[in-house]
Amino acid sequence: MADKATAIPAWKAKEEQLFETGAGLEIKELYTPDDIQGFDYNRDLGVPGEYPFTRGPYPGMYRERIWTRRFQVGFGTPQETSERIRYLAETGANGFVITIDLPTSYGFDSDDPISRGEVGVTGVAISTLEDMETLYEHTSPDSVSYALSIRPPVSAVTLAMLCCVAEKRGVSLDRVVGTQQNDPFYQMSGGPLQTHTQFFPLDGILRLTIDNIEHISTRMPRLNWMVTNGYNLRETGTDAIQDGAFSLAHAFDIFRMCSERGLDVNVFARRASFFLSCSIDFFEEIAKYRALRRLYAKTMRERFAATNPECWRMRFSVQSGGNTLTTQQPQINIIRAAMECLAAVFGGAQSVHLSSYDEGLGLPTEESSRINLRTQQVIAYETGVTKTVDPLGGSYYLENLTNRMEVAIADKMAEVEEHGGLAECVRTGWLERQINEARYKNQRDIDSNRRPLIGVNRYRISPEDEIPIKIHKIKASEWGERRADYLRRYREGRDQTAWADAMARIDRAWKEGANMVPVIMDALRNKVTMGECHEAMRQAQGFSFRKGGR
Amino acid sequence: MTSRKRVLLAKMGLDCHDTGIATVAQMMRENGYEVIYMGLHNYADEVVNTAIAEDVDLIGVSFLSGQHETQTRELLDAMKQAELNVPVMCGGIIPPDDAQALKQMGVADVIEPGTLTPDLMTRVSAILS
Repeated sequence: MADKATAIPAWKAKEEQLFETGAGLEIKELYTPDDIQGFDYNRDLGVPGEYPFTRGPYPGMYRERIWTRRFQVGFGTPQETSERIRYLAETGANGFVITIDLPTSYGFDSDDPISRGEVGVTGVAISTLEDMETLYEHTSPDSVSYALSIRPPVSAVTLAMLCCVAEKRGVSLDRVVGTQQNDPFYQMSGGPLQTHTQFFPLDGILRLTIDNIEHISTRMPRLNWMVTNGYNLRETGTDAIQDGAFSLAHAFDIFRMCSERGLDVNVFARRASFFLSCSIDFFEEIAKYRALRRLYAKTMRERFAATNPECWRMRFSVQSGGNTLTTQQPQINIIRAAMECLAAVFGGAQSVHLSSYDEGLGLPTEESSRINLRTQQVIAYETGVTKTVDPLGGSYYLENLTNRMEVAIADKMAEVEEHGGLAECVRTGWLERQINEARYKNQRDIDSNRRPLIGVNRYRISPEDEIPIKIHKIKASEWGERRADYLRRYREGRDQTAWADAMARIDRAWKEGANMVPVIMDALRNKVTMGECHEAMRQAQGFSFRKGGR
Repeated sequence: MTSRKRVLLAKMGLDCHDTGIATVAQMMRENGYEVIYMGLHNYADEVVNTAIAEDVDLIGVSFLSGQHETQTRELLDAMKQAELNVPVMCGGIIPPDDAQALKQMGVADVIEPGTLTPDLMTRVSAILS
């Protein structure tokens, strides 16, 4: 008999498949009404734009407004980036993710010795108020939406820069648009606590996080602020359940800190938004987004007692999963990103940004960024998927999976609560252990072929058969020299007494516990640089990381 | 007597993408290596000093954000100055042309994303033999 079984021709044999989602939820052969027993349309789904927002945060969704197709821009000097933004705005991009270089993301000036070889490499360098003014040279803070990939403490300085630019341009703060990224923990990709605390104390970072929220929610009603960067967390290798749970648990921990500061939940939560990843498991991702919206609405209404319906509505932007892409046969990454984009759209995203097909080989090029935009435009304008709200709503499978994801995410959130909330989980290393376990599991699943990865553990080709692609060229030393020269002149040309007084005011305000945003605005007007603002705040906390003169 | 080979892994510069290197560290431990992982933001002289103090057989550094050339050169220079002669392995997002340049600089191998663990182990043994 055994011989007979092996004699089945290959084309007839069943391929080996695993019937579970990426996060390990079982998938049955068929879903029927039995799988959504007790389903109550009004309670579980409701009208789009109304509690519990399962079908979408807004009525009409993409019929009213297609999602924002964000274009990633930022390299070299502010002048180069500003020219690029002008070109892209003229050719149809309506929102920008501005990436910054690593020194800026840690609050170092371009001429800091620690910045050597890093200036302008991963994004634009921003060290002075003048740099930010340059970025707005061809646009205005009340017309074009920027999202700077940044985090506290640095986002306190860039927020102050934005406010100063608005002031100089005669735009009142209540008219400023855009998204202020403000996640203290996940922004720096990677899990370790070290990345947050190497250059700035953790308590100081959290204080500036809440300072930013207070400043935005009381003065800048049109500015979104991003509470959780779930994308970067997911990129470490966590699964969809951990992704959802850690993203929400983080937001709720920050909201708790805002309430402790005395901020009104009906005001500060109004413009809170999320940045989430979309991975490759199509239905699991869609179910994740729908489950998250429902959990958010319930928690905001019940636990935080928000009465303003705007504060029940979870809004998010999505980036397709960079860690689902392969270095091998990079062209097929375009298809992966398209599938992920489609899942994000079925999941009701407000803004989408796709990872570039060349990300396994280098930083994205203009060509690969354009393909991302075109992919979205095909989905938005050609496929017709935007023409009705939540087209998959009511599917036995999707509703069943949405319910199961909601339960699984809530359970995982309860685990975070048991460990003292998310900030505490970061502090104790619990989160890092969760991340590391997930990373090892991913590698084992790819090694063992449990998780198929085309081009890596199946359907490989030899390196000689790869089709060459354009690769991003880095001019790190050239940018570094130009910036160092610029900063030397900037420092020489300032009123040294006014500068010293402004530095002293940072020190005093920090120690008094004042909201730092207006204080930093004052410093920027007196030509204090990004790096100097941070140095003054570090000194006020008695914190130093420098050793041996660097 | 067989002694386990000792490997020093480190991230250099400001890049904090550590998924690759943290995974490699664990896979190497599971395959019989003794791994010392220094974490993020190490300077070249710190890596070299640790390599000497720990008497390692191999140094591995990983980059995602475009610093591979600057940082690897600094590491190799610091090694030369300290007269430390152990093989260096790079990993991460490194364009093929740059990988070639790194090898010309003296790097023993450049591991690309998507390398399966058994292949990694074969390449590491090749460097060490």
